[in-house]
Amino acid sequence: MKSHFEYKGENYTLDLTPLGEGFHIQFGERTAEVHFARGADGQVVFILDGRKVETHVSADGKRRWVSFGGQTWMLEKTSGVARGAGGGTSSGRLLAPMPGQVRAVNVSAGDAVEKGQTLLVLEAMKMEIRIQAPMDGVVGRLVVGEGDTVEREELLVEVD
Amino acid sequence: MKHIPFRKILIVNRGEIAIRVIRACKELGIRTVAVYSEADADALHVRHADEAILIGPPAPRESYLNIEKLLNTAKETGAEAVHPGYGFLSENAEFAEAVRTAGLSFIGPSAEAIRIMGDKAESKIRMKAAGVPTVPGAEGIETLAEFEEAAAEIGYPVLVKAAAGGGGKGMRVVWKKEELEEGIESARREALNAFADETLLVEKYLPNARHIEFQVFGDSHGHVAHLYERECSVQRRHQKIIEETPSPLLDNELRAKMGAAAIATAKAVYYSNAGTVEFIVDPTTKEFYFLEMNTRLQVEHPITELALGIDLVQWQIRVAAGEAFPYSADDFAPRGHAIEARLYAEDPANNFLPSTGVIFKFNEPRGPGVRVDSGIATGSEVSHFYDPMLAKVIVHAEDRDTAIQRLQNALRHSIVHGVITNVDFLQAILGHDTFQMGTVTTRWVEKTFGDWQPSPNIPLEALIAASLADFVQPAAAIKDYTSQSSSDPYSPWKSASGFRIRRVK
Repeated sequence: MKSHFEYKGENYTLDLTPLGEGFHIQFGERTAEVHFARGADGQVVFILDGRKVETHVSADGKRRWVSFGGQTWMLEKTSGVARGAGGGTSSGRLLAPMPGQVRAVNVSAGDAVEKGQTLLVLEAMKMEIRIQAPMDGVVGRLVVGEGDTVEREELLVEVD
Repeated sequence: MKHIPFRKILIVNRGEIAIRVIRACKELGIRTVAVYSEADADALHVRHADEAILIGPPAPRESYLNIEKLLNTAKETGAEAVHPGYGFLSENAEFAEAVRTAGLSFIGPSAEAIRIMGDKAESKIRMKAAGVPTVPGAEGIETLAEFEEAAAEIGYPVLVKAAAGGGGKGMRVVWKKEELEEGIESARREALNAFADETLLVEKYLPNARHIEFQVFGDSHGHVAHLYERECSVQRRHQKIIEETPSPLLDNELRAKMGAAAIATAKAVYYSNAGTVEFIVDPTTKEFYFLEMNTRLQVEHPITELALGIDLVQWQIRVAAGEAFPYSADDFAPRGHAIEARLYAEDPANNFLPSTGVIFKFNEPRGPGVRVDSGIATGSEVSHFYDPMLAKVIVHAEDRDTAIQRLQNALRHSIVHGVITNVDFLQAILGHDTFQMGTVTTRWVEKTFGDWQPSPNIPLEALIAASLADFVQPAAAIKDYTSQSSSDPYSPWKSASGFRIRRVK
């Protein structure tokens, strides 16, 4: 899943691939593994290459206010014109990034879904985590239902 | 049981200073009435006060500067005294007079003291007569020829400034004779616009001076004390950014001399209540000169409060009620070092233009020796109508180095989302060698940071955070989740940030 941002005329593209427990990050030549730790009240804490990173994020339409290390940036989220080509690399098997409870299931097996569409919502540690379609496709197996408790890395849904 | 000076006070201001005054009132057991404009219906000061009265449209002239409406509000709410804060009507002699004529107490000095000190030419003449050193110059002159003669006598560079001036308006530095006429004209234009008075004076300009001011306090029984100094040399376009006490420049001898001059200044106008006498000091000769007196509470008053352990606002109220101010400087042993940084909604990358918007997040720093006087909270709107100062971050520590470190750390935890702030700029100043050595002069910021820009780089961490935020959102937003378009990858927290409060109490 690619995220595109603009800051002071420069464009930045970050590719996040959900892994068993977290995300694989591709940023230009740089790759890294990110483990989501927790978040509340706009705070987003994650582990990047084994190091704990504390950030604050606010969303205002397409704007993302991000604070890290005492500095704040106002990023503009863009659609990313060059999007789409690399979509096929994402896996259609969506796993729970952390233990939690399924709060909402928005799709049924057989539904056609678009890339980025939210399939279900997981609540963990008072945070809501959206499980989104990594590509255009059809919902194959829907493993969990609303109210289910899931463990980390448990299969939630498959998109073919 | 303490005597309660007033039962109810009207605070004719907004933002952090209104809240600061409300806090002092609450401690003294006094009920508070806030006023607000249509733009401030949701403002924090409205929420803190016991009562809040809408006084008009956003433009200050129609609300916070509307004397008639404010006096009516005082009458209708049964307030016994009026606190003006700083800015707005705080140094308006007519307002002070009108409040007292209406039978209320004005929490500040006499209208006469405000009038004299508001006139930079007359105050200078008075100070000379009182034996207070003033900057060499000439006042009461009008023609170009007179200005040329005066400038030649005192020597260039000179400062041409509005007699009615303040806040750096109507002020021009003239480096040589050829520039004098133009300097006079532009200062006149600005003075006429800002103060409706084009009277100018000229004085010697000291390009490498320090700005050091003394807190003074007088009462209605004729006692005047000084409460030590604050150094405010870190300025940008005559606006203070960072203030500290004690001044790194002063030794006890110079401090005593300047303190005595500050008391003489205040006594010359029979000063009562809190005031500040500003001096400029030549750091090489240690000569000091009276600059002006601010006849109100100063923005940077908290550093004095921290170093002395006194509550200046409480004393303003008590002295206005007729109590004697019981202290002299010798009653205090100023402790450690206090620094204040002003957090502004302005964009250093864009010529420091004010930044407006809704505050999505405001994290106040906390910890031992950290005080935050702020006027905003999540959901507050920062509009273009008023001063862009969001908050003052004030620290107190055992020595200057420790205080600087404490302030640096506090600012790292001062997070504002929704408007762009000067926090990176403050950090750049605090981290600079010259500031750390304590040798900053009043033109240093402009000379050193004239072309300063925040770093254009974004760390990977910030990009990851922005991306992750779209996966993760506070559970509080869940209830609104189903109403959102599932294909919309944006605004994950939009529903969590729409914050409204009661309008009327």
